[in-house]
Amino acid sequence: MSALTYPLAHLLGGLVLICAFALLSQRRLAAMITLYQFEAVTLTAAAFWQGFAQHELALFLTGFITLIIKAIILPIGLRYIVKNFNITRAVETAMPVGLSMILGVGLIGIAVYVVLPITMSAVTLTREDLAISLSVVLLGLLVMTTRRNALSQVIGFLSTENGLVLAAIGMPGMPFVAELSVALLVLMAFLVMGVFLFRIREHFENLDIAGIESIEKQGR
Amino acid sequence: MSLAVLAVLFPLLAAIPLALTGSAVRASYVNLALTGVTFLLTIGTIFSPGHGLIHADNLGLIFGVISGFVAFTTAINNISFIQSEQGRKSIRRWRLYHAMCQVMLGTTLLGLYADNIGLLWVAVEGATIAATLGVSLSRTASALEAAWKYFILGGVGIALALFGVMLTYLAAQPILGPGLAAMSFSALSNNAAQLDGSLMTLAFVFLLFGFGTKAAIVPLHGWLPDAYAEGPIPLTATLSGPMLNVALIALLRFRHLMEVNVSTGGHAMQPGPFLLILGIASLFLTGFSLWRRRDARRFFGFSSIEHSGIAIFAFGIGGPAIIFGGLLHMILHTLLKSALFQALTKAAIARGGASPGNYAFSHLRGMIATDKYVGWALVLCIFALTGLPPSGLFTSEYLIISQTILRAPLYALPFGAGLLLCAIAIIRQIGPAGFAPPPLGCKPHKAGRDILTIYAHLAVTLVLAFAMPFGLVSVLSNIAGALQ
Repeated sequence: MSALTYPLAHLLGGLVLICAFALLSQRRLAAMITLYQFEAVTLTAAAFWQGFAQHELALFLTGFITLIIKAIILPIGLRYIVKNFNITRAVETAMPVGLSMILGVGLIGIAVYVVLPITMSAVTLTREDLAISLSVVLLGLLVMTTRRNALSQVIGFLSTENGLVLAAIGMPGMPFVAELSVALLVLMAFLVMGVFLFRIREHFENLDIAGIESIEKQGR
Repeated sequence: MSLAVLAVLFPLLAAIPLALTGSAVRASYVNLALTGVTFLLTIGTIFSPGHGLIHADNLGLIFGVISGFVAFTTAINNISFIQSEQGRKSIRRWRLYHAMCQVMLGTTLLGLYADNIGLLWVAVEGATIAATLGVSLSRTASALEAAWKYFILGGVGIALALFGVMLTYLAAQPILGPGLAAMSFSALSNNAAQLDGSLMTLAFVFLLFGFGTKAAIVPLHGWLPDAYAEGPIPLTATLSGPMLNVALIALLRFRHLMEVNVSTGGHAMQPGPFLLILGIASLFLTGFSLWRRRDARRFFGFSSIEHSGIAIFAFGIGGPAIIFGGLLHMILHTLLKSALFQALTKAAIARGGASPGNYAFSHLRGMIATDKYVGWALVLCIFALTGLPPSGLFTSEYLIISQTILRAPLYALPFGAGLLLCAIAIIRQIGPAGFAPPPLGCKPHKAGRDILTIYAHLAVTLVLAFAMPFGLVSVLSNIAGALQ
């Protein structure tokens, strides 16, 4: 069994990373949501596998919460917003996709370069898991910065949260307090964001938040 | 159940009846009663600080009482705020508003009392959600922009902080074993020397960015002026002050872990230079930004960034006396800033309404002629914020700058220049706000007699700064000595 622990955990972590990277290249909202959903499902599998390998019931619970909320409920909600606000068209990016992908590769390089040398004493599994999850976190943040559209920023943020959960499930014996709170708070965060998106729509007539700069121009 | 747990749970549960109360005015009285109970509980916690996950140490206790006091006087002022404003929003919004006031207080106390870095993180996250809901309450375009900005910046900050929390756990886990011990502040600080230094350095970078966002130090401050300016003032400005302390105290504690690790030969990096540079950057950015603000709430929001910067700078220099100064500065600033926002609320009510748009300096001109009690309270609060004697802040700033000259003389000049720049920018506002003739055609409204709370705040700061009880001095210096 232990022969399988490492490769499978890495495979799942790598798949999450690929999803996070693919989010960068995707211009269409519907496709971004599908990618996010796939990322969440992979994360669920990773949590189950870690729970199995570490004999930790709490991790199964984390996986279960991830599956229900992130892989099922959140994508349904996101698709609902896309459909109701009629924003299925290709979205505007603040940066060419090619350039943002090059930046993404750079970020993954930085994550690996930063994490691997300083975690020599930690368990091998944790080391690589940590490098992967830091990459996912940074890629999510990059998605948030390269998109002008509010909904795709939300998806970037959700992908960042997935990276955090990936890091948490890889920590040996991490108390469940943190994991449960992440899962719960993502839901809360989403509710809050849902309210915002709805209102932003009302006030700006579209989901483009370029209007934010207007506060600064008034010099208040 | 210890009183510490009760002090955290009570306001969180009190949010429920407030979310159901049928009239905004009645809710404001209920809110006052509930906050009063919480204030008493924060005092009671001194005798029953709890154990395990929620275990208040002396630092948490002192700031807990301060937060309880600020929340209590804010709740008193909230009554006249609601009386003046209730017609402008639907009852559903006011229910949400009162519930969020309690959640904000509860999460602040949780952040102060938690002896677990995971729980601390949950507290900060909860406060962010409560504050965002508060900022978006008025539903105007600019309020929504501010709330969205807050949510994105705060959310990213929180995400980074969680990563830092997990890295800290990873650094402690080989020493303290898997489980809760590796996340407890007291266990971490007892074993700080053996923590994995290089992992702690990486963790600290994330924690600095994460909690630094919540403490609003430059360059992570972008959300604060907008959030202070756009929400209902008692929630987003007055009650948010204690939350800055939670983030600053968290940074102080993590800095202490790093410092111990370095001084006992660990591989951690010196945290001081990071903090020093961010502190000076905060001072200068506010020093220049203050000159161009026309909205009073935005203006004093920037001044909060300045004071966070001063505290961070003090922590960066290190040493018992300057940490004492930094903590004293945080206490005094929280009291003064909340008094100032209460005075601003009163001033705006005296000019007809306390909605977010009514706080331009031009609109609040000449308050003494309109209402001399409110006007003088405003003038005294603004003057106290400059840090010139006899303001309480003078003591803490003097302590910090004299220690800087002693320990790191090179930094004293930019720090002093920054302080001066901010003080001049603030003092410019006193004349027009207090003594100028009021704008043409304004009719004075009744501001209510609960102005006494503002003077109570000012009196407390003076006592703490110039005649601090001996017991408190020794407790605070023990804390500063332990966290140096």
